[in-house]
Amino acid sequence: MKARLVLATLIIPMGLIIAAVPENTTRPYKLTAEELLEEVKTGTQFIYPDQVADMIIQKDPTLQIIDVRSADEYDKFSLPNSINIPLVNILNPDWEDYLDQDIKFNVFYSNGTKDANEAWMITRQLGFENNYVLQGGLNYWVETIMNPEAPKSTSPNDEILKYNLRKGAGMALGGAAVNTQPSTMAKSSKPPITKRKKKKKVQGGC
Amino acid sequence: MGPLIVYDIISDNANLFFAFLIGIGFGFVLEINGFSSSRRLAGMFYGYDTTVLKVFFTAAIVAAVGLLFMSLFNWIDLSSIYINPTFLWSSLGGGVIMGAGFILGGYCPGTSFCAASIGKLDALAFIGGMFIGIFIFTEGYPLWEDFYNAKYLGSPVLSDLLGSSRGVLTLLMILVALGMFWVGEWTEKRFARDDYKLNQK
Repeated sequence: MKARLVLATLIIPMGLIIAAVPENTTRPYKLTAEELLEEVKTGTQFIYPDQVADMIIQKDPTLQIIDVRSADEYDKFSLPNSINIPLVNILNPDWEDYLDQDIKFNVFYSNGTKDANEAWMITRQLGFENNYVLQGGLNYWVETIMNPEAPKSTSPNDEILKYNLRKGAGMALGGAAVNTQPSTMAKSSKPPITKRKKKKKVQGGC
Repeated sequence: MGPLIVYDIISDNANLFFAFLIGIGFGFVLEINGFSSSRRLAGMFYGYDTTVLKVFFTAAIVAAVGLLFMSLFNWIDLSSIYINPTFLWSSLGGGVIMGAGFILGGYCPGTSFCAASIGKLDALAFIGGMFIGIFIFTEGYPLWEDFYNAKYLGSPVLSDLLGSSRGVLTLLMILVALGMFWVGEWTEKRFARDDYKLNQK
């Protein structure tokens, strides 16, 4: 009896206070400027067009390509299966589920690298993981994947291999066709894709 | 001030160590509240002892108020707290099975270990039954896999469903809990048993 009274006198006022104050919606976990600078210096956010092309060809289900350009530009041309999150809308709560998650491998792209990099910096600063930037952007993508420059016949083997992979990827993605064997080449020269370890979830119970 | 513990700062092993300490604390609280007595636990269902309800609801409202205050002071990031996802049908089915086992055996999984550690043989039998259940579940998993994964609701939160703020909902829960304690103590008198003295250990 007495214990209940003590509990009630303590917890009801606290409940009243907590009901009256506005909810704290800030996210205290953020990267410091130094930590972010360190990541920018090492360039961990970049992923090369070859890696992305390979993931597209392998139909990697974890790949999520995100176009951060405006909706107009997205309508004119976009990478296959990409979604459009214009940079100006990146903080819109509708997109948070896409950006703050630990399953998909998000790749931002814009025409160059600038907008995509800004999108990455904003999301990284919020502590989101698994977001990457397409190195060189669409311009470099078109240059390397859609219209790769043929190496000279005297070039080293790996140059020719790389060219064949790009040509194959370009073909698979609707570029110009040439006489190569894209499927075998794509397999034999698969670039290393490092995936982040998923966080283990803690489960509780009685 | 940042959150108390950021996920990636402490290693998995340090995490386990903290879990171990918290586990000892949990077991201690169970034991001093007499949760290793199956009569006390079963009393919840017959109404002659509602300690289980009081202890767990006190824990819930104290934790809720504590977390909201910590969030208010920026000590903890509520969005990084893991909420067990809800699979509606398996939650209901599991609840029924667990409740039936609870009445029959007189323990819940945690308290059975608590009671076994002070040497109660019925708790050992209960733990044996639990492992048989685990064995049946895992070996027969393909049979109930669909049921197990049906009706996935994500991690719904009551305050979102009701459209109220967390604070208001917590206040509401506090009032509901205190009301239930009152009802609980009424049933303890109403359904009191001659052979059972309250607060026996």
